[in-house]
Amino acid sequence: MAYRVAVDIGGTFTDFCVFNEKNSSLNTHKVLSTPNNPGSEIVLGVSELQEKGVLNPTEVSWFSHGTTVGINTVIQRSGAELALFVTSGFEDVLEVARLKVPDPYNIFSKRANPLVPRERVFGISQRILKDGSVDSELNEETVKKAIQSAKDMGSDTIVIALLHSYANNKHERRIREIINSIEPEMAVTLSSDVWPVIREYERTVTTTVAGYVQRRVANYLTAFQNALKSAGIPAIPMIGKSNGGVMTAELGKSDPISMLLSGTATGVIGAAEIAKKVGVSSILSFDVGGTSADVAVISNGEPAYSSGEMVGDFPIYVPTVSVTSIGEGGGSIAWVDDFGVLKVGPESAGSNPGPACYGQGGKRPTITDAFAVLGLLGEGKLGYGKVELNVSAARDALLPLAEALSMNVKKTAQSIIDVSVSGMFLETTKLLSRFGADPRSFSLLPFGGAGPMIGCFLARELGLREVIVPPTPGVLSAYGGLIADIRNDFIRTVMIDLDQNGLSNLRETAKFLEEEATHWLRKEQGFDGESKLSWSADMRYRGQSYEIETAFEKNDLDALVVDGLARLFHEAHHSIYEHSDPNAEVQIVNLRLVISGEVPKPKFLTHPEYKQLAKPLISHTIYLDGQEFNASLFERDKLEPGHHFTGPAIISQNDTTTVVLPDFDVKVDQFKNLIISKRKMRNGD
Amino acid sequence: MAIDKITLEILKNHTRAAAESMAFTLYRTAHSTFVKETEDFTTGLTTPTGETFATPTELGATWFVGLNYSGAIKLINDYKPGDICMTNDPYSGFVCTHPPDMHIWKPIFHKDELVAFSVGHIHNTDVGGAVPASLSRSLSEVHQEGVRMPPMKILEEGKLNQKMLDVFLTNVRAPEQNWGDLKAQIAACNTGERKVHEMIERFGVDTFKNGVGDLLDYAEQQARAIISELPDGEYDFSEYIDEDSVNGWPCRLRLLLIIKGDELILDFTGSDPQLESSMNMPTGGDPRHVLMMVGVVYVLYSLDPRLYLNSGITRACKCILPSGTIVNPSFPAAVGMRTLSCNRLHGLTFGAFAKAVPDRLMGAPASGGPILNVNTTDTLTGRRIMAAVNPMTGGSGGTKLADGTDGSGANSGFLKNSPVEVNEVEAGIRVHSYGLSKDSAGPGEHRGGLGTDFIFEALSPNTKVTARNRDRTRFSGWGISEGRAGGASKFIRNPNTDKEFNLRNTDILSLDPGDRIHVTCGGAGGWGNALNRDPESVLLDVKRDWVSVDGARLDYGVVISFEKNNLPIVDKVETKKLRDTIRASEAPNTSFYSPCDARIEYEKVWNKTNYDVLTKCLANLPITWRFYAKHRIFSEIENWDPSDSNRLNGAAIESTYNKMLKDFPELENKRNN
Repeated sequence: MAYRVAVDIGGTFTDFCVFNEKNSSLNTHKVLSTPNNPGSEIVLGVSELQEKGVLNPTEVSWFSHGTTVGINTVIQRSGAELALFVTSGFEDVLEVARLKVPDPYNIFSKRANPLVPRERVFGISQRILKDGSVDSELNEETVKKAIQSAKDMGSDTIVIALLHSYANNKHERRIREIINSIEPEMAVTLSSDVWPVIREYERTVTTTVAGYVQRRVANYLTAFQNALKSAGIPAIPMIGKSNGGVMTAELGKSDPISMLLSGTATGVIGAAEIAKKVGVSSILSFDVGGTSADVAVISNGEPAYSSGEMVGDFPIYVPTVSVTSIGEGGGSIAWVDDFGVLKVGPESAGSNPGPACYGQGGKRPTITDAFAVLGLLGEGKLGYGKVELNVSAARDALLPLAEALSMNVKKTAQSIIDVSVSGMFLETTKLLSRFGADPRSFSLLPFGGAGPMIGCFLARELGLREVIVPPTPGVLSAYGGLIADIRNDFIRTVMIDLDQNGLSNLRETAKFLEEEATHWLRKEQGFDGESKLSWSADMRYRGQSYEIETAFEKNDLDALVVDGLARLFHEAHHSIYEHSDPNAEVQIVNLRLVISGEVPKPKFLTHPEYKQLAKPLISHTIYLDGQEFNASLFERDKLEPGHHFTGPAIISQNDTTTVVLPDFDVKVDQFKNLIISKRKMRNGD
Repeated sequence: MAIDKITLEILKNHTRAAAESMAFTLYRTAHSTFVKETEDFTTGLTTPTGETFATPTELGATWFVGLNYSGAIKLINDYKPGDICMTNDPYSGFVCTHPPDMHIWKPIFHKDELVAFSVGHIHNTDVGGAVPASLSRSLSEVHQEGVRMPPMKILEEGKLNQKMLDVFLTNVRAPEQNWGDLKAQIAACNTGERKVHEMIERFGVDTFKNGVGDLLDYAEQQARAIISELPDGEYDFSEYIDEDSVNGWPCRLRLLLIIKGDELILDFTGSDPQLESSMNMPTGGDPRHVLMMVGVVYVLYSLDPRLYLNSGITRACKCILPSGTIVNPSFPAAVGMRTLSCNRLHGLTFGAFAKAVPDRLMGAPASGGPILNVNTTDTLTGRRIMAAVNPMTGGSGGTKLADGTDGSGANSGFLKNSPVEVNEVEAGIRVHSYGLSKDSAGPGEHRGGLGTDFIFEALSPNTKVTARNRDRTRFSGWGISEGRAGGASKFIRNPNTDKEFNLRNTDILSLDPGDRIHVTCGGAGGWGNALNRDPESVLLDVKRDWVSVDGARLDYGVVISFEKNNLPIVDKVETKKLRDTIRASEAPNTSFYSPCDARIEYEKVWNKTNYDVLTKCLANLPITWRFYAKHRIFSEIENWDPSDSNRLNGAAIESTYNKMLKDFPELENKRNN
């Protein structure tokens, strides 16, 4: 076995990353996605790679892939015909949600229509109390009636989310049995399986999304498995997860909720891996595509996690690599408002027709066109030679704007870049202040098709000193899938006071979680390598309505050390909120366990760094901040470890173009990353 | 504009980043749970004269976009770097609007020049005074509403004024929380200061100073452009609070909105005299006071959400706020519960604008539901429980384009509820149902939004429930353009039992174990004639259990029948018959507003003539006499011979008023003329 392959299937392009373990070489490839015929892009890409001589399908030992099929199902509203069973008296749970509307300043603002229309929500007569005790037994007649009505209305999937089912799932399971016996074709999703955690709206909406995408995801994954078979690949098909890990595709069919945001997550995992290698502790990953920019914080090689990330219009509460999406990307369109003020986005030319300079029929001015007009994209071919740069089309697209602003085209182009960068500055500043972090201590790691183009500009605006451009920035999401671990999250609501008694209960739950996790990894995933357990608890002071996830060692639990756990929480509270109260009572709401099976990472050859000034291909005229510069133009392929040069410079490669501003210097490190640093620093800034 | 428009847009993003960073700093470091749950705080940056040019929109209260700090800023005469000032006195400078709100401001210097202030407030859970949490409708003087700190420097050139802090903290119920929150405010102001210095470094001090002025101008221009599109004219509207004090008479708020070109005049003359309860809105008569601007900002932003939110917007507006009234009370009128009257004021403002652009605005937003808190004992552990349970909200009004939003929206869209499961675990109550309130929507071609509906049970003796902002059990939200009024709010103890008791607008009560409370928010008003509503839409609401079969028939003229499988369908023939009959029997509704029946009845007596006479009479009296006089006149008119036409034409009021003057010779010179 010699090859490890990861594929990222996006809306337009499918990216391949192939690692050859024999010679430690990394190859990338792009083909057009075939959303109507899932799997065929994989077959095509594999055969093209084979033709190129960089892949032998029969020798593939690892094949992982990330997909947007789940999230697209939600966005396009093309999922299951759902019915929802809830505890009687609480049928409006999805309508009422948590009340808050998306834009509270706008009196017309409204929450999105739920995935289950209210007439398909059925109140079930039963009641479980907060401690899991049964207050009133399940009325099976109401269940049977509801099943019949749901079927009559055309539902093919029933989601069940009863009050306090995290504490006792007996009634949910019994309802599933009844459905299975009466309507075996009906798919069933239980909230106590998907997200057995207190807070009924959060649990219900998450389960609803899970039920909504399940069939389509399962069909898709079957197609994926078949595609690998027909391509002659023996590896077990794996899929990416929102938590940055992977799992077998087979398991994904019954656990679709955990893979919805895998596309953005694996990109961040790829960035984190690079940060680890380079040895930078604080990284902002900056993934810019055609319509949006995704920013994530990585500390000490670990991404931040959160729950409640949005999938289309709906929050889902499974652990997810935390990513902030900004509505500006390379295809974002510039326009002038009624008061003569220049704005950029959120409308985008996307990838079709794309920016005007791609010459595919785009006529409106985009951020990428602004870069083209200033000479910042160099000359010639882009995107694996698939696009011929057409600067004059970009200029034509900018002309009407230039007239409206009474500026020349170059000044207009510069203004588009400045305005869009300031928008990204705003969102990134918000993200960092949420963590209480100082931007100046971060390095920026741009990737995606447009990230390396804009990265230096954003770094300058934020006052960052370093920009790191990985070797294959256009396919970093696929790369992340190559190095991701097999990983799963387990959670139980415990709702205990942190005292001796509570801790004994907690230990029971921990035992249960550990068994569950180990079973998942060893039995369901069939994994037999090294594994790691990471424990944490969602803790709070009594009276607080929000929790802090606090990491701890299993020993603390075994030894039943109340003070030890409390101290960890006080410290965590202090590090986030800058204060803590060692005398206050502490509660534990949820217990969490993450199990990860470490997948052998590809070993990249490092290259000796012999310091050498890189020779540019040509010198090329660019315009920046109202001045003309001679920029050096480099081909990324030709840059070797140890090479260094000064900005302004343009580095072009198959999947992206990197722009280096005049007061930045570049060196190529031993992994062939471009390390771009602010020059002033060296003069003792 | 003093700077170019490209730089303006870039500076705008930087100032917003600064304001948002301040908000995150405050939110992150605040101590009290209340701040994190309600986000009742603001941060921002102002010009040296106090105009807010940057406001966060991600976090914080939605009310204070146009806040002007000048009144408080002026009360300190010598600013030095490192100073931080604070006040929570509603009567010192009229920046603070009730004592729980602690406002602070920090001067920011570039070299020796004062270039900006970083500012902000937090609603403190308690600032002392007569009742825990410092808020009660029954209070009548601001002195009862907590300790008041006049504008002073809490930090002088970076040094803490410990004595001042001690005075403050000695007088509050949970001093460590107030101090913790104050530290968070100070941290936020320091973040703002740092960000301003970074902007000056990035843009240069002149561009910064000029640019800030331009940002205010920009918002002003946008606001004026939106106003210009509204038809010129005078739009007169009134709103009522059910009670002007505990079990009192109704309280009227009146607005004459004048749209003239790109300017607005909001004349509140005819609003009731200041109250002997705590629902007064302290404005100091400032023609652009932020409390009076909230509704306007909501409307303008909603008409065009591209509007940049800062106090430049308010420059296009001028309010007329007669002194000694609820909209401009004189010291020491109590102000703690001004939230209730502010809510009514928002609806009033929406209504006046709706008359100007009926196709672009909505019926009355839902209102009258309380902020519910429970104070009880856990039987198992003996532990005291104090928990915020739910804000009882409702949706927005119906519009020409669509039904209103259900459950929340319009001016209540910023609030969050507590999950049922958390309420059961934490608040020591049992929840029997939580959802949308059936038949609460104001009927219309596009109906209003539904209110929320909540039934819970107390589990321990002496369970204290506070229900702040209860209202609208009598006067519910109006519809427009033939749309009808929303349902009234409800507050019922032990519903459907022989112990049933209507609590109406009560806002504090004690429950026994087993007692059930049914509480709802009033529904929002509808738009358009309900007989024109698509019967299928009515059917859908029936299927959703939001409109009853009776409601469909009575409110919409839609007859629902049931198929064999018990599925409801529209009986088309009967529906047409019923609708024709109703159309033939009802007089066409020609008035723009459709108030609820209770208001129609009430306004038969308290019609425009009567209220104009009343307003004129009361305005003659010394402020301290007005509330008394209103109550006396109301009570006599209530008992006046209903068949006497003088009761309706102002004469009875004149005569009652004159009789009162006779009783009190010191008032003799106050005779109406």
